[in-house]
Amino acid sequence: MAEISEAHDSDSSKIQDSGSEAPQRSESEPDFDPKTMRKTKPGLKRLFLTFSVFFSFLLGFPFLWKSVEIYRSPLPFREIDSLSTQLRSDNLLFPLHFHALFVGFDSVPDGLRQSILSEIAKLASQNPKCSNNYTLSVTVDLDSRCLRSPNSSPYSSTYQCGSITATDFVQNDDVAVDERLASVFGGKTKEYSVAVVKGGSESERAVVGKHRHAWLVVGDGSEVEVAAVKVAELLVKVFVNGGREEGSIRNEFMPVGADGKIVLSFNLLNADPRDWVYDWDFEKIDDTLLAPMIEALGPVANISVESQVLYHTPKASFSYWNQKLESYVFSTKDLPFFVNSNEWHLDTSIAAGGRSKILQFALFISLFAARYVPSAKECPLLLQLPNGEISKTNGFISPMWGGVVVWNPQGCLKDSEFKPSTKNIIPIQDLENMFEVFIGQFRQLFGFKSVNVYAGASGDWNLLPSERGFTEWELDVLSRQHTCFNLHSCATTLGSLSRLVQSLPRMIIMDEIGKQVKFSLEAAKLALSNASSGVYESSAASSSKASSLAEDAFFHPSIMSVSYYSFEHCFAVYSPFFLPVSMHVMLAAVRELRRYKQEKAKYLAWKAKAKAAS
Amino acid sequence: METFNNPKPVLHLLLLPCLLLYSSIAFSSSVEAAMHTNNWAVLVCTSRFWFNYRHMANTLSLYRTVKRLGIPDERIILMLADDMACNTRNKYPAQVFNNENHRLNLYGDNVEVDYRGYEVTVENFLRVLTGRHETAVPRSKRLLSDEGSHILLYMTGHGGDEFLKFQDSEELQSHDLADAVKQMKEKHRFKELLIMVDTCQAATLFNQLQSPGVLAIGSSMKGENSYSHHLDSDVGVSVVDRFTYYTLAFFERLNIYDNASLSSLFSSYNPSWLMSTAYYRKGVYKRSLEEVPVTTFFGSVMETIHTDAAYKALSRRNSGKFEAQTSLDQSVHHSERRTPVKVNDRDETHNINPEGQEGASKCPWSTFCNKFLKAENVDSLVNYGLVAMVPFLMISMWLVR
Repeated sequence: MAEISEAHDSDSSKIQDSGSEAPQRSESEPDFDPKTMRKTKPGLKRLFLTFSVFFSFLLGFPFLWKSVEIYRSPLPFREIDSLSTQLRSDNLLFPLHFHALFVGFDSVPDGLRQSILSEIAKLASQNPKCSNNYTLSVTVDLDSRCLRSPNSSPYSSTYQCGSITATDFVQNDDVAVDERLASVFGGKTKEYSVAVVKGGSESERAVVGKHRHAWLVVGDGSEVEVAAVKVAELLVKVFVNGGREEGSIRNEFMPVGADGKIVLSFNLLNADPRDWVYDWDFEKIDDTLLAPMIEALGPVANISVESQVLYHTPKASFSYWNQKLESYVFSTKDLPFFVNSNEWHLDTSIAAGGRSKILQFALFISLFAARYVPSAKECPLLLQLPNGEISKTNGFISPMWGGVVVWNPQGCLKDSEFKPSTKNIIPIQDLENMFEVFIGQFRQLFGFKSVNVYAGASGDWNLLPSERGFTEWELDVLSRQHTCFNLHSCATTLGSLSRLVQSLPRMIIMDEIGKQVKFSLEAAKLALSNASSGVYESSAASSSKASSLAEDAFFHPSIMSVSYYSFEHCFAVYSPFFLPVSMHVMLAAVRELRRYKQEKAKYLAWKAKAKAAS
Repeated sequence: METFNNPKPVLHLLLLPCLLLYSSIAFSSSVEAAMHTNNWAVLVCTSRFWFNYRHMANTLSLYRTVKRLGIPDERIILMLADDMACNTRNKYPAQVFNNENHRLNLYGDNVEVDYRGYEVTVENFLRVLTGRHETAVPRSKRLLSDEGSHILLYMTGHGGDEFLKFQDSEELQSHDLADAVKQMKEKHRFKELLIMVDTCQAATLFNQLQSPGVLAIGSSMKGENSYSHHLDSDVGVSVVDRFTYYTLAFFERLNIYDNASLSSLFSSYNPSWLMSTAYYRKGVYKRSLEEVPVTTFFGSVMETIHTDAAYKALSRRNSGKFEAQTSLDQSVHHSERRTPVKVNDRDETHNINPEGQEGASKCPWSTFCNKFLKAENVDSLVNYGLVAMVPFLMISMWLVR
């Protein structure tokens, strides 16, 4: 159609160009100039056609744009920022309630309370990250009367006057006294109690129990002020700091993996099976000693245990024969070279391999507890300390790696008795002793000492050990410090993630990452609220969950800078398709529009002329 | 004289930057307190083909050195892009030498290669550094370092101005490496990092490094080539590069107890022997190189603490009957715990698919309406839009006819 009309137009223009023919037209209408006038209305079909193509391109363009858009799951950047500022500005405050009970003293509780509070203020160290909020209540119980200070406060203790007398402390059985006090002090509120009892003629005895209380038995003539100072030191140094000097533990004493899991891998290393082969009854020990400890540490970390027996595992350092001790001796200088990592294939854990499949990034630390049975030529093998003494435990740890204990079998001394190359079982008593050393090492890896005396500036306190490996107040210390550490690491990880995501605007962010960030923030909020209300275990569990989710989000395998494509790439892919075509389409539309306008003008001119003529 | 009249503001002005400096020093020193706990080594050979034998020999020589000085296999990530030992052109099968006297077989005993052949890619290398692996990657292929680790990163192959060539098909650029190191530092994946690069124009590869605690040394500067040391006419190819050869010569003189310093290592490189200038970059590395022993990176020094006492929990057990009771309870708990690991409830986050695909309803129009109204899946929306353009065009074509 288009060509015909065009041909018609050109024909007519050609006819006019010849000039002489077709006088009818020029005669019928005056001054008909085909170059500037036309009789019929210009058709709209061509315009419609080109513009329909042009508009279809325009309509399709938003679809194209949407299809090449990078999918980025929306991350809550503002909430992440608010979490980090919240943690930085107002320090994480753990509320701690103390209760001091003075039995048999004739003093005013208010004065005692002030003096203890001032001592606490002197001793408490300021941890920049997490601090504690103390409340103290003092009760003075003297036969008939019983005074409390402060009189009415929400945190005054629920202690019944007269429940504890000096006679409770007469016997020397600390465990029984501990249980008795637990029945008195144990209640719903988690507070740390100290009972100072005057009575009994023997000397002072200061004991910290397995739960959350301690007691101090003083002689008749002692001063209450001295006792108050001792109480303050106990409260700050032992109950708050866990027996350590500084308030917070360093990072190398937090062997919990980024996903909150620890694998304890126990290895029995036989150095040379030609000499002798030893085996152990691990399951029994696991049931009796390890299971309660693992359960107790549940809020702090999720622990699993595995064990193996290895052969042909010589050590890498040398020892020398000491005639006086009649044994081979290695010193603490050799300790860094003791672990022969080439021959000790310790890192073959099945549980960890399986976990590497489940977790994104297993930053957990396998704790190796390697017991080393020396070969017959180097037996007995003793560890000599720098001061010349022989170590009682024969063991050492390496922070964030694990511990090693050296055991000398009985057959060392009497060569004629042992039978080579038969399987000997390690006697259960020795095994239990070894495992007590292992538990001590495990505590050491968390920063706790296992000596059962705390030597403070104002006196010593005996520390009662617990069957679960950690006493309740030690678990509180761990929960608090892990909560603090986990929340801060969660905030920094999320902050790093948000900075990273914002610096790469064309990186795909999958939904999974968005969900992990959301859940991590929820867990962090829960941990904060629990911490400020004093529920340590659940706050530790929530904080480890928050930290592990944040780590999962940050270490998601799709965040790789090499695999996102830049704007230049996108442009280079699509422009050869669309640029030439769009150029033609636009040019056609513009040309048709111009032509239509011209023809319309021509037609209007003719109409005007015709009107003027008629 | 006028300034003397107002000493106070001047003093304040002087005090303020001093205070700022002091507080910044205090803050930074409180942050940098991690103890050196372990050493890691990441050794990368990026070239393939037989004539690049020397790159593999370089990497294996360094592997042998760090193992000899104490870093165990579990803390070494060895990436070899090709297999020279079992190459059909190797006259000495299963043997790799770095010297024409064939004194040392580098492939002899206990070589554990973590990434081999075509697994050595830029993506895998950056994944190792940043730690972003897929879930199925085993522990032996991951860099499981922590904030107390010192890492030695050694790269060898063919390189150029700000790049390192991987497998003859892709490149690692200097900004990628700098970005990976920056992310490692942000996640505290190392305490100190030593980068050694033995390629042509090696020093350009760490031009963009800015993270603190990173030390880098390259075998040649921009515009210079790094040369091989000698040709082994028996094997038929060059067997070692000059930079690595002199590094190994330095370490052969050391043993596990020595404490030669890093500055002696760096000054042992003689430009006339290397035929290039070994250039090292201290950057923001705080310690002075004379004080840093070589074993902080090349050896393995375990921090050890003696265990003072055992935890006498068991000796507190009173009666045998009580003990039996508790052990019975615990055995019950124990059998419960021995059940297989329960499915992690985190798996539910993997099910991201939002739309529940109900069975295709009988009326296609209703499904179409449903899908259109939901409009959750953008791709399908785009497809429908493109499809809708077709009748549009058909109509316009018909009208023109």
